Amino acid sequence: MEILTKAFEALWQVLLVGLVLGVGLPALFALGVVSLSRNRRLVSVGAAGEEITKPSAAGLTGAIVCFGVCVLAVIFGIVVIVYGKQLFGV
Amino acid sequence: MCIVVVTALAFDFTNGFHDTANAMATSVATGALKPKAAVALSAILNLVGAFLSIEVALTVSNKIISIQGANGAPVPGLMGVPMLVIILAGLVGGILWNLLTWLFGLPSSSSHALFGGLIGATIAALGMSGVKWDGVISSIVLPAVFAPVVAGLVAGLGTWLVFKIVTGVPEQQRDAGFRWGQVGSASLVSLAHGTNDAQKTMGVITLALVAYGSWTNVHAIPVWVKIACAVAIAAGTWVGGWRVIRTMGKGLVEISSPQGMAAETSSAVIILSSSHLGMALSTTQVASGSILGSGVGRRVPVRWGVFGRMVVAWVLTLPSAGIVGAVCWFVANAIGGALGVTVIFGVLVFGAAYMFIRSRRTPITPENVNAEWEGGLVPADEREPAKTAS
Repeated sequence: MEILTKAFEALWQVLLVGLVLGVGLPALFALGVVSLSRNRRLVSVGAAGEEITKPSAAGLTGAIVCFGVCVLAVIFGIVVIVYGKQLFGV
Repeated sequence: MCIVVVTALAFDFTNGFHDTANAMATSVATGALKPKAAVALSAILNLVGAFLSIEVALTVSNKIISIQGANGAPVPGLMGVPMLVIILAGLVGGILWNLLTWLFGLPSSSSHALFGGLIGATIAALGMSGVKWDGVISSIVLPAVFAPVVAGLVAGLGTWLVFKIVTGVPEQQRDAGFRWGQVGSASLVSLAHGTNDAQKTMGVITLALVAYGSWTNVHAIPVWVKIACAVAIAAGTWVGGWRVIRTMGKGLVEISSPQGMAAETSSAVIILSSSHLGMALSTTQVASGSILGSGVGRRVPVRWGVFGRMVVAWVLTLPSAGIVGAVCWFVANAIGGALGVTVIFGVLVFGAAYMFIRSRRTPITPENVNAEWEGGLVPADEREPAKTAS
């Protein structure tokens, strides 16, 4: 019985972290993608008539912020991989 | 002793090619990376990951079997050859199970196969009391039940939210962006895999060296072991378990870029958080659960039959590898000495060669790994006329 409660204790922590980061990061990344694609300015029209556009300044800033946070999270992930045992002591 | 080291490295190799799929299946399936580029990237990251491991994984088996003391040294009664035979029999069980599941294109946990083999060999050698059943339940059975559920839930929610957010974005722009995200998150999974799994083999080899008496420091791993393990797991990854990649990338659900990214992120987060919160989950089961969940989250049809077969494989992993491990131990013990060891090594070589030749009949290669999934692992135009779907 004791191992069960211990397992559940670990389980809900994993689930919580999973929900915050595992759902949050893809969502943030998605916001970045959206930010890049909204309100694009028309720059020129290509040979085949396709529109060549650029992201707006606000959109670009938003995207950089979103992707930046994602990159930070990845760096944090690498730190956890390398030094995780010292950090969390498990 | 040499045979044990070679076998352990062979296990590391099968571990590598079996688990390439966990990280790279989604990237291969969505075309974010060319198949060969994907395995190359994964191999390099596994290599790096293996060198990054700074912890000593010598006590890796301590939770489940009692063949080592608290500090990782072998139990005195088992020093020398008895210990080596247990380890060898366990490794043979693990490798053969890995190869069999690979033949069927089923992802199954390499760690569970290794532990299963060791448990089987330990039961054969020491009886039931040699196994810590509490540890088996808390570090193998429970995590195996939870891993796909947790991963599936997170990936499902993630995918659902991502698609909600990106509605209206042109598909081309959307996919171009998410391919980068996919590669990033998949790389993280590879790195974590190299760190975790190469460590286990390093631990096993070091344990064998200690038992043999040629290494006495239980707090460090010999440098050559580290290099050999890192190279073995990277080489295995490089060869690429195309069969398993195909099942995970194409068989379970059809994967789009945003979905693949959500699934890999969920895998990476859960693998990392679980291994540091006291319940290490199997990479394979987490990745499978994530891919499945992402399919549910996007509301695309999931091939539950394929998932069902995976679950069956997971349930069978421990006992099957265990039985092979136990049988090997009995055989080696009955014949005794160097001859016994040679015989089970021969069994391993024979079994591995047979399964390899069997796989050549219906090869899965980088070229056909992404072919449409029609009722089975083997692409429709490659199937032997006389044979029905395998």
